[in-house]
Amino acid sequence: MNKMIVLQISALIIVSGSLGGLLVFTDVYEEVHSGIVSVLCLSCLKLEPKTKTDFTFETAYGEPHPDFVLDNLTKGVVFLHYSEDACPGCDIMYPVIQNLFNITFGKEDMVYKVFSFEDLDVAYFYTNIDHASEEMENSFPIYDKDHISGLPMFAIITLGYNKDIIRPYYTTVYGTLGLDSDKDRISLLTELMQESIDIYNQNREGYNPDQR
Amino acid sequence: MEFQIKRLLSQIFIFFSANLGALGFKTGFCYPFFYCNSCPAATSACPLRAIEHSVYKGSFKWRLLLFPIVILGFFGVTSGRAVCGWACPIGLLQRGTGKIARKLKKYPLIKKIGNHKIEPYLRYVKYVTLIGLVILTTALIGFMFTDICPVGILTGTIPTLILYPSKFVPNPLFWVALVIFILFLVLIFTVERGWCRYFCPVGAILAPFNKISLLHVSLVQREIFEKECLHCNACLNACPMGIDVINMNRDPECILCGKCINVCPKNLIKFERG
Repeated sequence: MNKMIVLQISALIIVSGSLGGLLVFTDVYEEVHSGIVSVLCLSCLKLEPKTKTDFTFETAYGEPHPDFVLDNLTKGVVFLHYSEDACPGCDIMYPVIQNLFNITFGKEDMVYKVFSFEDLDVAYFYTNIDHASEEMENSFPIYDKDHISGLPMFAIITLGYNKDIIRPYYTTVYGTLGLDSDKDRISLLTELMQESIDIYNQNREGYNPDQR
Repeated sequence: MEFQIKRLLSQIFIFFSANLGALGFKTGFCYPFFYCNSCPAATSACPLRAIEHSVYKGSFKWRLLLFPIVILGFFGVTSGRAVCGWACPIGLLQRGTGKIARKLKKYPLIKKIGNHKIEPYLRYVKYVTLIGLVILTTALIGFMFTDICPVGILTGTIPTLILYPSKFVPNPLFWVALVIFILFLVLIFTVERGWCRYFCPVGAILAPFNKISLLHVSLVQREIFEKECLHCNACLNACPMGIDVINMNRDPECILCGKCINVCPKNLIKFERG
């Protein structure tokens, strides 16, 4: 009986101490909160968001566009790619994006690259939510157009004419885009890029990033 | 039966607490029971998803592995599998379906399945599920268990499709998960607490803690028990987990529901601390 009490007390001290230690000395609470609870797990849902490619001026929660987007819009279209470490959809889309833009990078990297697409500069930002800076992480909900909160997410931001002002105009697509093959996915993203570039070219002259 | 009403109230209270996400309340904890973080109202993370995240495709994030285990361990050391009987929303669901399963037990086929000689071995399936589908498959191939999990369909997929009918379409694993969900329904309607008995990986983590938990169900002193027991089998018939109560000693399957304590005409079974 005494042995049992010793065992119970030891086990209680170990689990309580470990739990306390994890909460105090590590960021696991934040990791679970931001990586599992706040981001919708599409694979747990067994669902994919319907792909809606319509462009809009309104950010998801009425938040202003971040500075890094507004500044890069002076050069060309902005492409934002959001991902996380453990995400089957992200793993499917990862090579699609690499093929589309002909770039290579590590899954946990933060990537910012400007390259030419259809003779226009495209600023590409890859953000892994598990390793992102605060600024990049905060931009994730801003472009969550359909209020999905799921990953992977891709936002293409161009310029549009609205209420006498040239303003950022964007669309967001999610998951594996509701398509079965990489070829179809590349084709859809290419179409969206081309459409964004056409709209950008029509409006670029009147854009002033300070006119927010 | 006042005791069982208290247990029901506890289960209902925990069910609502687990869904405070509907009011915007979200935490960074893992549930100490089985509930899906993709539920639109979820407040916390599924412990199995956290474990899967920790070993996804060969990665190893020890903190994410340890966190759900110590949360479950804390509840396990203090009260064993009481979480299954007093808190788990899937336990609450099975409390309802168990009544139907109990009635179906009268049918010879169902009775035969329940008493089949392999039944005790089926209880080990949950450990195989935990190690095989939650840990090994995730580490070697990618997410598997939570991608086909019937609890995810029940608490995540169905509410999401009801709330946002035009927002989502099924992914390739949806139909596999749906078939598993139908089998899950058949199971819980034919075998009382069938999910907890055979398949629940969270139960598999909690079960060994019954051996050392501070709170447990036990018999009165052996001599008194042997002298006074009427061998009426009321405890055996009442147990939703199908435990041989008379011969049990800190049984890993016991969910501390207290039904055996309530029905014993001689009060020979009790909750014990220590």
